Amino acid sequence: MNVLKIIEYLIAKAAPLKTAFFVFLGALVLFDLFLPRDNAHYIVDKVYAFWTLFALAGCFLLIKISKGIAHLFLSKDEDYYG
Amino acid sequence: MDSWIHPALFFFVGALLLPLLRGKAKKGFILLIPVAAIVSVAFARYGVYGAYHFLGVEGVFGRVDKLSMVFAWVFVIMAFLGALYALHREEDGHHMAGFFYVGSALGALFAGDYLTLFIFWEIMAFSSVFLIWYRKEKKSIEAGFRYLMFHVFGGLLFFAGMMLYYHKTGSFAFNSILPANASWPEYLILAGFALNAAVLPLHAWLPDAYPEASVEGAVFLCAFTTKTAVYVLARGFTGFEILAIMGTAMTVFGVCYAVIENDIRRVLAYHIISQVGYMVAGVGIGTAMAVNGAAAHAFAHILYKALLFMGAGSVLYMTGTAKLSRLGGLYKYMPLTMIFYIVGAVSISGFPLFSGFVSKSMIVSAAHHEGRIWLMSWLNLAGIGTFLSVGLKVTYFTFFGKEPAEPLQAKEPPLNMLWAMGLTALLCLIIGVFPQTLYVLLPFPVEYHPYNLAHLSESMQILAFTGLVFYLMVKKLSPEVKLNLDVDYFYRKGTLLFMKFDEKVIAPFDTLWGELYRTLGLRALFKNAELSYFFDQRAIDGVVDGTAYSVMSFGSVVKKMQTGKIQTYIGLSLFLFFAILWLVL
Repeated sequence: MNVLKIIEYLIAKAAPLKTAFFVFLGALVLFDLFLPRDNAHYIVDKVYAFWTLFALAGCFLLIKISKGIAHLFLSKDEDYYG
Repeated sequence: MDSWIHPALFFFVGALLLPLLRGKAKKGFILLIPVAAIVSVAFARYGVYGAYHFLGVEGVFGRVDKLSMVFAWVFVIMAFLGALYALHREEDGHHMAGFFYVGSALGALFAGDYLTLFIFWEIMAFSSVFLIWYRKEKKSIEAGFRYLMFHVFGGLLFFAGMMLYYHKTGSFAFNSILPANASWPEYLILAGFALNAAVLPLHAWLPDAYPEASVEGAVFLCAFTTKTAVYVLARGFTGFEILAIMGTAMTVFGVCYAVIENDIRRVLAYHIISQVGYMVAGVGIGTAMAVNGAAAHAFAHILYKALLFMGAGSVLYMTGTAKLSRLGGLYKYMPLTMIFYIVGAVSISGFPLFSGFVSKSMIVSAAHHEGRIWLMSWLNLAGIGTFLSVGLKVTYFTFFGKEPAEPLQAKEPPLNMLWAMGLTALLCLIIGVFPQTLYVLLPFPVEYHPYNLAHLSESMQILAFTGLVFYLMVKKLSPEVKLNLDVDYFYRKGTLLFMKFDEKVIAPFDTLWGELYRTLGLRALFKNAELSYFFDQRAIDGVVDGTAYSVMSFGSVVKKMQTGKIQTYIGLSLFLFFAILWLVL
């Protein structure tokens, strides 16, 4: 099937795709540095690449805290309720 | 146009006629009903239809305005897509439950008063539970009963509020309520509505029941109950600060659970709470743009969430499991399903060119406009979690990742399911590329352009760097075969406790009472019966029998005189005649 061929082609090209992804990340930060900030009233608009930092910290904490709480007391065996 | 056929009518009548048809005619009929409803919505004109008087109450079946119409449009479109997805199901009951469910949701949308709304509200709960039970497993039956009881509780809150509201205002009219005027009645109604919108802490019924529903039923369920609740909140309770805060809390709460859950449909169920949180927050912020955002997001959400549930359902239908820990490498066997799922996933995550980008951002921007930066940040944090779990975690561990030890002999699902997914995916794309098609339906006239540089930069940074963290921490996210407690713990363990209390305290007391009754109560009863019998025989019977004996002896005297000879009668008559004459004279 054609769709499958495309997917397998992309998987075979994982290494260059990864490089492209990192270049894209850099480009995004650069793009934000040159964004006009005439209407910036709040801190989230004023700080350069604010949402990059927000995403990095937010995503890391989200995983850490959710998993942490789960392991602390939320997770039970699957037949917990019988 | 003065008359209008309420679209709910097609579903109710259709559900009743369905069992009469067979074979291809039935399949055609199942698709025809939603098409008829779409036509009915297309021809609807703003106005009030079907006003009625009942027991001195003024009711309205059809309030057609911009707010009800935007929801009606997506409801009937979704009804068609859901019917197409479920077309292969043989049981009439499943289709009928779906039709009654959609019909009652439409009935609730157009209801102009609380009484009409309440009736449809209850039909919705009682018809949708069958979509859970049709999975026909012990877990679904139990989850269905919990779902039903919780919704009956919500219905009672609503009912109590409605009655108190009538007492307060003398009317059942369902209109916008000002936060300043709200007291007990309004807050009870709000609690009933909030329960259906899965607002914390009244949310646990949703991730408890939806993952246990039938493959096709879950597609219906994820669309109607919560979004009808969003509609009634948007109709009645705009600008309630508590909704802004609780809605935002829901968005983050949902994604936290989605990070730790193992079952795909449970991940998606928690994401309903999260996404509905955006809408509830929009209603709570209450500006024209925020309410527009809530309506737009409900529209977009119904489609992409249904698409995700269709994808997860296809995986479950074809492999027999939706547990991430037992899936992997499915791209080889179900590439089309994967592509459709990914369209749903990028839509919910808010990628440019997909529907979530143009709807979610209205609510976030509304928070920004109002200077509610904390709300905005929490909403964006939830956006991170959305892409992380629905977009990356589920996609990676289902379609890529390690294949399980025993290979899954999976294929693409039946054609009707693929078509339903394809059409839904197309709609997600159309809304994303041409947002005006959705914006013209919105209740308030607001200029909003999602494709501006600042918004693009903000969204792309959030999404791309979430991707980076996922890439670095993917091992941390590997699925765990666990059950995660939620607030349903309190009523599930609570009922167990009650059962124990019943067994240990109530049942022994009941036995004791029974014994007491048997020994003391019954003896007293027997004594009483004996006394009654004695009285009956001696006193009552004495009187009755005495009378009877007198009548009998009189009868025997009269009998002697009845000889049958005419001359004796004449003689007796003459004797009596003279005797009376003598007495009188």
